[in-house]
Amino acid sequence: SEYLLLLTQAKELPAQARRLCKINDGSLHAQLLEDLHLSETTPSPQSDPVITTRKVVSKGQNQVTIEELAILKPQTIELSCYLTDIPNNPPYLTGYWTKDGKGIVNSEETVNRTNEQYILKKTFDILAKDLGNYSCIFKEIQTQVTFVLDVPVIKDKRDKPIVSYTGDSVVLACKLKQTPNTWNWYKANNTEKGLINVTANPLNYKIFIHGNETKLTVLNLTEEDSGKYICSAEFDIKPSESYIELKVLSYIEPLKPFIAIVLEVIVLVTLIFLWEKCNKPQNDNISAGENELCSEQISKLTRDDSNGVENNTARQRKLEH
Amino acid sequence: MCLVSSAIMEKPQKTQEEQQSSPQMAAPDGGWGWVVVGSLFVSSALVFGLIRSLGVFFVEFVQYFGESAQAVSWITSIGLAMQQLMSPVSAAASNVYGARPVVMMGGFLSGLGFILASQATSLLHLYLTMGLISGLGWALIFTPTVASVMQYFTLRRSLAMGLGFTGVGLASFAFSPLFQYLVEAYAWRGALLVLGGLSFNMIACGALIRPLGKPKVVVKAENSTKLNKCSSLFSRICEGFELALLSHRGFLTYSVAITLFNAGYFIPYVHLVAHSRHIGFNEYQAAFVISVTGVADIVGRVASGWFSDLGRMRMQHMLVVWTGLLGLSLMLIPVAVVYSGLLVVSVVYGFCAGAMTPLAFAVVPEIVGMERMLGALGLLQLIESIGGLLGAPLSGWLKDYTGMYTLSFIAAGSFLVLGMLVTMTLPYFWSCTAPPPPSPSMKKSQDESIEDGLLKQTLSSNSVPEILCPLDDIPYSDKE
Repeated sequence: SEYLLLLTQAKELPAQARRLCKINDGSLHAQLLEDLHLSETTPSPQSDPVITTRKVVSKGQNQVTIEELAILKPQTIELSCYLTDIPNNPPYLTGYWTKDGKGIVNSEETVNRTNEQYILKKTFDILAKDLGNYSCIFKEIQTQVTFVLDVPVIKDKRDKPIVSYTGDSVVLACKLKQTPNTWNWYKANNTEKGLINVTANPLNYKIFIHGNETKLTVLNLTEEDSGKYICSAEFDIKPSESYIELKVLSYIEPLKPFIAIVLEVIVLVTLIFLWEKCNKPQNDNISAGENELCSEQISKLTRDDSNGVENNTARQRKLEH
Repeated sequence: MCLVSSAIMEKPQKTQEEQQSSPQMAAPDGGWGWVVVGSLFVSSALVFGLIRSLGVFFVEFVQYFGESAQAVSWITSIGLAMQQLMSPVSAAASNVYGARPVVMMGGFLSGLGFILASQATSLLHLYLTMGLISGLGWALIFTPTVASVMQYFTLRRSLAMGLGFTGVGLASFAFSPLFQYLVEAYAWRGALLVLGGLSFNMIACGALIRPLGKPKVVVKAENSTKLNKCSSLFSRICEGFELALLSHRGFLTYSVAITLFNAGYFIPYVHLVAHSRHIGFNEYQAAFVISVTGVADIVGRVASGWFSDLGRMRMQHMLVVWTGLLGLSLMLIPVAVVYSGLLVVSVVYGFCAGAMTPLAFAVVPEIVGMERMLGALGLLQLIESIGGLLGAPLSGWLKDYTGMYTLSFIAAGSFLVLGMLVTMTLPYFWSCTAPPPPSPSMKKSQDESIEDGLLKQTLSSNSVPEILCPLDDIPYSDKE
């Protein structure tokens, strides 16, 4: 189901000519009208009402719809909920607004039926502290529409840390759909955030900012560079943050499994050749003494294949006999 | 790791012919042969299974080097191209030095390529290390191992090949999560280092390939009476590469057929997921289709190998059946719009694709004889690479041009059907018994291959081989 959201003029914008722009946000059509001469209570843009024909089940089921709206700067917003297809078509419904689950005082209204529709609207002034979840709730039919007002959220977070090696360099990136005023990078030490200053550390850091994406390159990695890095998109209303975790390893880490596997291969190849050498003399009728020697060599090797040196000396001693 | 255990060894009865023939060409059909099959299993897993699972690394490369996905995908293309182009070289080397040292060297090179790649600082380094060096290593491993398995088996050749190739399918399942874990734990550099170590296991696989006799070129040099060293060296090279095969009608026909097969074979692997998403199924459904196809592929390999060894039909006829079915199922894929229909067609496709693979190799000695099999394999891989190089871009172009995958699947299916028709023009195709193999150049009794002895018995006991009779008439095992 979709409900129409109307954005009315923003009071804080400097005086300018009337502008009409349309913003398509996914499934939602919204319009922003900037005209300081209009009073704030007359919403008369040419709206594209997306009226749903969704039927509300009259058995009292809760219909809950959620819409996410990206707020970039402080503004005044009128949120509207349109309801259609209410069974029994009561002449009026009672609706009220909540913010973050708590009812807003004096927001309860009686909504008359107009052309099979029930329209509930309210205007809100949104500053940084006012961001949150706004819901219009219709008491009698227990229908709820929630508008999530928030700064744009940085998606595609990696839940696993990025791994790199000492002496290597690594690139950390953040991306948004909207373009912020600027980007900042911080390194988090426990609870503190330290701003990363490229001019102070040109050898270790490089920051690349291009509109709606940013990249932090950390050079000459050391183990202290491990930790949480925070990218912050600065908007007028509030910054939007996301963090990336970096882990710096020394080269010894992957060498351990590598050397283990190489040792295993060497042991296997030696075993294979020894086994073959021992089986071959049986076909060629060589004395059984050598066979005994071969099988003893193999049993020595299989017993403790980590002590290669000892085996070799043991074998030499045997041969001398 | 390599299967050194003797648990899988069997000792089937040896036929009279096998005991009478020279030790040079003895095909034990069991015993140590199963260990060699195990070696093929691990090698094909570590070569083709590894290549198929490299996608995990590509994401990392794109992010680290900042290059496009297409530039990164060249790594696999170069690797595969090297593996196929260097096949004749690898076959020639095996003809001169024997399979074992060549495979061990190949294992070392493929591991070395990955180890060097872990130190790469640019995409070019990756092309040279993962592409050229590892690709060369893979070439040195694959052809001699396949040839060795075929030397070790006669009666159960297809089954052995089918079992050996299941390594590819199983590795594709196991390696993807493993590689993902390695990349998350050690980043791509450490993961490549560990993969290099894993590839070294193929050295052990090479060590398992006990030679059945002296390498072919060495034998011929010993038996020849040429005094002039230069011309004997040249003739050794020529024989190593088996260039004489290029004038052999059966070989040429088969190489055309297999090029056409190759052109159509790989297209669905590339496009099936995209096609499923395109017609509206979600990610998990598409992934499930691929998994089901993979399982059907593995089952098809073993089943086809086992069935072909029962001998009810000639291998060439069976190959025609499987490729015909495969081509048909490919052409049916665009028709399946319902999910269950797509699953059924994909299972048929997977099964036929798997069924075709061991036969495509096992049929080679029937066409060119055991003596020239190794060189034939090398040359075949080289020639069929043309099919692979043409097929994938053509299907991609068709998709871009028409916006749908329908035409590319139909093109793939028609390539396979065309290849099937070409296969039907092989010499001795329309007879019910296997033909006499081409006689080797040196007519010494020592050099008679198993086929010679077995087939002389067959031809004497069966009459009228030239009539087109029903395919399930004369069982293969009559030869015994």
